[in-house]
This record gives sequence, structure tokens and C-alpha cells, in this order.
Amino acid sequence: MFNRRKVFIFAASLIILLVLFSGCSNSSETKGKDSTQGTATKEGNDLTIAVDANLISMDPHDTNDTLSGSVQRTMFQGLFGFSKGMEVVPVLAKDYKISDNGLVYTFQLKKGITFHDGASFNAKAVKVNIDRLANPDNNLKRHSLFAMVKSTEVVDEYTVKVKLKKPFGAFINNLAHPAGRIISPKALEKYGKEVSRNPVGTGPYKFKEWVPGDHLTVVKYDQYWQDGYPKIDKLTFEPTPENGSRVAKLKTGEADFIFPVPPEQAKQIDGKNGIEVKAEPSIVVRYMAMNSMKEPFNNVKVRKAINYGIDKEAFIKVVKRGFGKPLDSVIAPKTSFYSQQKVYEYNLEKAKQLLKEAGYPDGFKTTLWGGNNSTSMKGMQFIQQQLAKIGVDVEIVPMETGTMSEKIWSTKPKETELEMYYGGWSPSTGDADWGIRPLLGGKEAFPPKSYNTAYYSNDKVTKLINDALLTAKPDEREKLYAEIQKLIWNDAPWAFLTVDYTISGKKNYLEGVYLLPDGSLSTHDAKIVK
Amino acid sequence: MLFRYISKRIVELIPILLVISILVFLFVHFIPGNPARLVAGKQATFKEVQLVAEELGLNEPIWKQYVSYMKGLFQGDFGTSLKTGRPVSEVIASRFMPTFWLTISSMAWSLVVGLLIGVVSATNRNKWQDFSGMFGAVSGISMPSFWLGLLLIQLFSVQLGWLPVGGNDSWQSYILPSITLGTTVAAVIARFTRSSLMDTLKDDFVRTGRAKGLSENKVVWGHALRNAMVPIVTMSGLQFGFLLGGSIVVEVVFSWPGLGSLLIDSISFRDYPVIQAELLLFALEFMLINLVVDLLYGVLNPRINLD
Repeated sequence: MFNRRKVFIFAASLIILLVLFSGCSNSSETKGKDSTQGTATKEGNDLTIAVDANLISMDPHDTNDTLSGSVQRTMFQGLFGFSKGMEVVPVLAKDYKISDNGLVYTFQLKKGITFHDGASFNAKAVKVNIDRLANPDNNLKRHSLFAMVKSTEVVDEYTVKVKLKKPFGAFINNLAHPAGRIISPKALEKYGKEVSRNPVGTGPYKFKEWVPGDHLTVVKYDQYWQDGYPKIDKLTFEPTPENGSRVAKLKTGEADFIFPVPPEQAKQIDGKNGIEVKAEPSIVVRYMAMNSMKEPFNNVKVRKAINYGIDKEAFIKVVKRGFGKPLDSVIAPKTSFYSQQKVYEYNLEKAKQLLKEAGYPDGFKTTLWGGNNSTSMKGMQFIQQQLAKIGVDVEIVPMETGTMSEKIWSTKPKETELEMYYGGWSPSTGDADWGIRPLLGGKEAFPPKSYNTAYYSNDKVTKLINDALLTAKPDEREKLYAEIQKLIWNDAPWAFLTVDYTISGKKNYLEGVYLLPDGSLSTHDAKIVK
Repeated sequence: MLFRYISKRIVELIPILLVISILVFLFVHFIPGNPARLVAGKQATFKEVQLVAEELGLNEPIWKQYVSYMKGLFQGDFGTSLKTGRPVSEVIASRFMPTFWLTISSMAWSLVVGLLIGVVSATNRNKWQDFSGMFGAVSGISMPSFWLGLLLIQLFSVQLGWLPVGGNDSWQSYILPSITLGTTVAAVIARFTRSSLMDTLKDDFVRTGRAKGLSENKVVWGHALRNAMVPIVTMSGLQFGFLLGGSIVVEVVFSWPGLGSLLIDSISFRDYPVIQAELLLFALEFMLINLVVDLLYGVLNPRINLD
């Protein structure tokens, strides 16, 4: 149709123009790098935080995503909470006592604290909240953390007693969990289930508005009980699911803090446009479970061979872009009662030798299930490559969340087709129990009941796990969990991969906003440095 | 006459919508994955999942679920979102307006630009105007919109600092998303206009017009274009319908709180009631747009008989 010669000349000149144009923009970018090293400036006293997903609920008792929990933290507080290093610290509680049989917890409460709606914080408010959580009829997503509560009793205005059905060693951790936050009893009465859209707590900020999919705003609570806090007037959370756009918001200053920062861009944006990137070890463990009810993984030598056959350092470099550490126990170092084990060093000879001893001198074929997002895919492909070197032929089966729940959690243990599973876990109570029992706690934890995707069942380990829950004495629990971790490590139900890092980015005028090891956000100490 | 025609067409929509509702319901429920597990959460126990399934009525046989869904629908109740526990009508309503205004602002400029490029290309066939017009149109169609969106953000927000990266709180925030969204539409319309107009310009009445001494402008704009409009209107109607469904990619890139990003969220969460309501809404939108397009045919060319 067109004259070919003309088209060619036209296209060629356009390409030349494009090259010239991109050349110009490149040079202006390099100029930018040199001139923007100083402190970025900020007008006003409001902050915007861009996050990667939409918020789901503002009812702490009915929330199971970390992100909604992070936003709730600006408005709500619990009797206990977590410090920067994931240690349990009292917040609304002043002191507590545990009876010798581990069944009765008595809490002294702090005085003179009010909820945003004027209701006062006292023993009755605590009772209303714990009763709400403990009652299965309320169908709250976090009921399981409080299912062991038998009754709650108001002793006097600022003393409350909680009785348990049976001893539960990690109870204080459960109270410190984001689900243990206290909602105003007045608001609970007024809104019922609708409290999820009308949050009222004792925190430094009070709720202003929530436009789902767009933003949620909280403002300074003037009667906050800690003097001098909060130091920010208004805090806005903006869901920005696209990685590139979230990073762009930080660059332009539309957002003052963003998380997560995609690892691919972390190094590239750090130190430019007044941006600081922070990466810190989390309590998220990355593992590959091997179904120990199935051949060949029912042989511990095979499981160990797989562990020896994966180069963890290279895994971190390639898959995690350097943001991770080799996993050296079943739980991460910042989980309580962690005890370090000796990492299975990368050793191809040893791996091959073990496979030979197990009767698989030429390796075998197997499948690996996991999520279909690009990060999981990259991890699984890396493992596929590594295991090919010891003759194990891995077929990757990526699945989207809904499909995965169908394939794994709707199937009986004996019928499952699962062979290997690439997963991650964040024990949200920060306690060893929640990091081990749901994942490796014997038959009771097999899917569909729970998350034991390794179908790992060692009677000795299961007994120790249950024993460790029956006592609230830290030194006894420490001993038991050390033993448990050692036994599991030797049984190698997983290929132990990494401890993930949390990566966040902020403008350098901002201080006091940080991610906790459980991946949640703390804004209590936020301030703008002028 | 016209009124009767319109009411007849609207009555005809009802059985079609019913059939679509059955298809949508089955389709949505046959996606693998159990919403109860997703509602109960990542770390929920089996018992909790069972309780949730019971509460949501997911253990009932599928036809019973459909009947109770339709019962609600006839009373104007679209159900409650499994993910947020809010009424579906409220969820959809809050997401509809941002998508609607974005659609309008994208369509407005892309119609004008598309028509102009198309007419200029057709009347200057094989000249430089035609080459650059069609080069632009082909690039516009081939360019992935997420890439164009990120490129615009990089240039206008990050480098120049003129426009916001996301959100929909000011008129400035409409500019980048509507450029991204409208580019493909403008390109498609330009190509359609060019070919349709070129065909019409060969017709006898055009020659007659020129012969009786009408100016070239009057021939093209007054007579030829009007006759070339039928396929262009059809195409624009389709594009309008697609945009009203919400563009998943553009809404995600610009964190736009519209129907597209809601759909992708709901699908990954298996939020059945929301997916169903959205799909029904899209079907209805398309049917209404088709009706309007049919009416426009009559206006453009009175020889087309509406009955």
C-alpha cells in the first residue's frame, strides 16, 4: 500500500530521533544524581505512607492480614505489644502475675487512659474485649488465639483476671499479637460488627475517613496518654499495588514512606532524591517442604541430600538480590526461643553420595508446588536448576492462591498429590509455638487441618511441642524448644532456605517509622526533622 | 414509535440478563479455590474454615445458592462482600464513579484526536500526513498500556514533577491515566476512520458533490464522513463499553479506585458476590451501549430501519 522506500526513510528518521531523545534524558538523569544528595525538605506536618495492597478491615479481632493490622496499630493498643526487636513489652497493662498452675493470669492496668470516644479504659473494657474474642459464636477470625480462655473477671476498676481452660505457655504473646488490641466497649455496643468501619481505640491517632481502594486517614488524638506523642498531625495510607508507581510516589514526595520496596529497585533508589532504603531481618522463614509420607521423601537421606544440594548463598544473591540470610533453624532468630543449628553446607558430593545410599544413584523425578507471583517463580526455578545438578528432575507447578488452597487444603493427607511445596511463614505471635506447631506439629497439623505441608510426624517432637505449651516458665520452655529444633533439624522435613528481609523506603527528613520483624509497621514515634 | 422501540428493546434485555446471570454464577463458582479458606485467612485452622463456609452458605448445593442469590437480586440485594463484609451494592457504587469519569475523560479526547488523524490520513493518502498518522496509530495500538503508564509517570511525575503519580483527588490526577487509557482508543478510531472514509470517498455521491462544485472540506466533513460514521460509531461504542468495565492495568498502575482493580482483587479473593455483580453490570452496560449505538445508526442514516 505504502511506498516502501518512503516508509523506510520515515521509520529510520524516527528511530534516530528516539535514540537522540533517550540520550538526552539519560544525561539529565546523571546530572540529577549528583545534585540530590542532601536532606529532602518537607512542608507541613502530615505524612503519607504508600502500601502494596488494599486494606480489608479495621476490626483488630477480625483481621488476618498484616497490612490492615499495621494501620490498626495507629488507632489501637493492646495490653501488651512488641518492641522493635520483637520482645513482648507492656502497653496498656502495667504489671501481671501468673498462678503457679499456669491457669490464672492477673493483670494490673494503667490508669487515666481514655478511648477516642471518651469511654475510659478499665478492667471492664478489657473483659468486654477478651469475652468477645473468646466466644466462638462471634465468628471472629482471631478467635483461635483466645479459644483457651475459660472466663474473664473484673476484680476492681484496674485489675482483671483471666482464667484458662488449660495452661497455655504463649498466652502473653497472644495478648501482644495485633488481634489482642482493645476496642472501645462503647463503640462495640454502638456499631456491633460494623466496628470494622468505625474503629475506636486508645492509640495516638483517631480515625478520620476510609475510602476503600483509595486511602485511609487518621488524625492526631489530643488526649493521648503518652505526653508529647504523637508528633504528626495527620497520617494517610494509600494502597499502591504497582511496584513502579509506589517507588515513583516516594521519589516525587507524594509518599514519605513506602513498603515493601521491590528488591530489584532497592539499591538503585537508595541515596537519591533524599531517599533512604532500609533492609532488616524479619521473622519470615522461607522453606521447601518435602512430603515425608511419599517416596522418595520418606527417606531422611533423600531429604538431607536435597538440603546439601542447594546453595543458600547463591539463592540469596540470585532470588533475594542479597536481601536475606540462610535459615539456621526452623524459626528465625528474632522469634522467641530460637536456637541456632548448623546449616547444611552446599556440598554436591555429599548430596550425590546420600542419594546413592538411599537407592537413587541416578536421581528421580518430582514436582514442586508454589505461588505464581514472580518472586516465588524465581525461587522455584533456582531450586530446579540446583537440584538438576544432583540428578533430581523438578517440574515446577505454579498456582494462584485460590487454586493452591483447593489442591492442598481440600485434600486428605493420604490422597494428596503434593510432593514438594515452596512456602513461607511468619509466626505472627512472635513465639516459637506458632512458628513450629502449625507447620510441623505432627498429624494434628496435616492439611486440611493446618499447615504441615511436609506431612512430618515425629511422635517425640509432637509430644515435646505439646509439653512446651503446658508450662508458662520461660526457662523450661527454652529447654524444650531447643530440643525440638534440634530434632526437627536432623529429620530435615524441609529444605531450609532463608530468613527474609523487610525492605522499606523513606525520605530522609522522616524519623521513627519502621517495620517490625513480623512485617508490620510502627508509626508511634514518627516525626519530621526540619 | 421511537419510544415503543426503546421499551421493546429494554424488555428484551430481561431474559438475556437472566441467562447471563446463570452463566456468570456457574462460571464464578467453578473457579477452583474455596473462598471460605481465603476469608478465614492464611493461618486459620480447619475448624475455622468449616465455620466460615457454613456461615457463608457455601455448603449448600449450587442450585440452592443460585436461587437464594436471585431472590435477593429481585429485591435489589446484591449480597455482602465476602472480603470486607460490606453490601456489594455499596462496594460497586463507590468504585463506579471513578471508572465512569475516567472513561468519559479518556473517550472525549481520543474521539476527537482519533477522528482528526483518521480524516487527515484518508484525505492525504500516501503522503507524510498519512505516514505519521498511521505510524502513531500503530504505535498506540501496540504499546502495552502499563509500560506507557509507567513511562508517563517517570517523565511527568518523577522528572518534571508536574502531575501526581496516583489517586483521583484532583483534576490533575485524571491527566496521565486518561492519556494512557485513551491512546489505544484514539489509535483504533483513527484506523477505522481512515479505512472507512477512504471507502466512502470512492462512492458516486462524493464524485457528484465534487462535480457540482462543493468545496473539498464540505465534501469530506459534510457528506463523506457522515456516511463513513456507522462502523466508527460501532467501534467507539465497543471501546466505551470496554473502558466502563474498568481497565485493570491502568487502574493498578495509577492506584485508581475503580471497577477494574476491584475485579482483580475480588477474583483473587474469590469474592463471589462482588465478581457476579460486576460481571452482570458489565453485561448490562454493553447491552445499553448497543441500544444507543443502534439508535445512532438511525440518526446517521435514516435509511436504516429500526424495526
